[in-house]
Amino acid sequence: MARLLAQARFIIGALALALILAVAPLAHAQQPTVANPTGVNPTAASVKEQQLLNALGNGDAIHGRVSIPDQKSANLIHPAGRDWRHFHEVTLRWIGAIAILGMLVILVVFYLVRGQVKLETGYSGRRIVRFNGFERFVHWMTATCFIILGLTGLNITFGKPLLLPLIGEPAFADWAQWAKYAHNYLSFPFAVGVFCIFLMWIAGNIPNRVDVNWLKRGGGIVGHDHPPAYRFNAGQKMIYWIVVIGGTLVAASGYLLMFPFYVTDIQGMQLAQTVHAIIAVLFVAAMLGHIYIGTIGMEGAFDAMGEGTVDVNWAREHHPLWLEQEMARTGPNESQRQPMATPAE
Amino acid sequence: MKSFMLACVAAIGIAAIAGVALNSVQKPADRAFATEAVRL
Repeated sequence: MARLLAQARFIIGALALALILAVAPLAHAQQPTVANPTGVNPTAASVKEQQLLNALGNGDAIHGRVSIPDQKSANLIHPAGRDWRHFHEVTLRWIGAIAILGMLVILVVFYLVRGQVKLETGYSGRRIVRFNGFERFVHWMTATCFIILGLTGLNITFGKPLLLPLIGEPAFADWAQWAKYAHNYLSFPFAVGVFCIFLMWIAGNIPNRVDVNWLKRGGGIVGHDHPPAYRFNAGQKMIYWIVVIGGTLVAASGYLLMFPFYVTDIQGMQLAQTVHAIIAVLFVAAMLGHIYIGTIGMEGAFDAMGEGTVDVNWAREHHPLWLEQEMARTGPNESQRQPMATPAE
Repeated sequence: MKSFMLACVAAIGIAAIAGVALNSVQKPADRAFATEAVRL
């Protein structure tokens, strides 16, 4: 009997010990800790880590639930955002660097090899109106805005790795903030300018057979050839359409970003940013070529947009068909081409 | 030069008008994303 009681005590004691060991961790979990002072398990009603990993592996977005008006804030993780981040942190920088630095290298090499395209017949002393005041006004408004938009846009892509280490965080923060304002607000006069350019010069920028011949002969850039052209040659027409189409695309994609979620969702905005950025860096590269040929690349070319007039010999060398049209319109010979032609200062 | 100066003035003017118009349309974040009936 005594032996039986001893065995019963042993079994009851073992069961009690087992119960204590089983319950102790649960009781400990409910105790307030330093890391979790409320004692509430924050993940008890949430998804498990494996579910998160599975969802991320499938590329699905992980949503929660919020009670504030902005329901988008319930989106905890969107894996597609990683692809977009990789694009603008890595891919875009490579595309931009290759396009812009590549164009600069090409222009420097071209200038060193070819040199400036000279006015071979020299200055005649007589000038002809190339662009009127309104045309130059629209050009410079668009160009000025483009330069600021380009620099402030490049700051978004390259500012953090290139400028931030040089000027420090406080200065970079101030600069980046004002650059963002300038980028947003100057987009409006830029868009107005692109629209005016489209209307103003569309008549002279329709491709024709003369352009094919001009392109076949390399535009006279290589060598000393002077293929005929009307008011705008094929190269200028390419610049025109790059400005009109590229400007329209960057403006449209930029306004989608300026008004987030008004028109499209996050995927649409990521696509808009991708389009905006790629076209913008290619646009900058193309305009570097335009700036080159309009300034140091060709003798007498800057006067067209600087003063609005060009030397008659310059017009005869580079735009002979246009000069003929102007002479036919204003008179049979140069002496009667007043007021289109004015004496050089 | 005159065209360039006028272009700069016009660009600043249009940008300023756009800035005023945008600021009158858009609400600050503390108002756009706030409500009086939040349950936390």
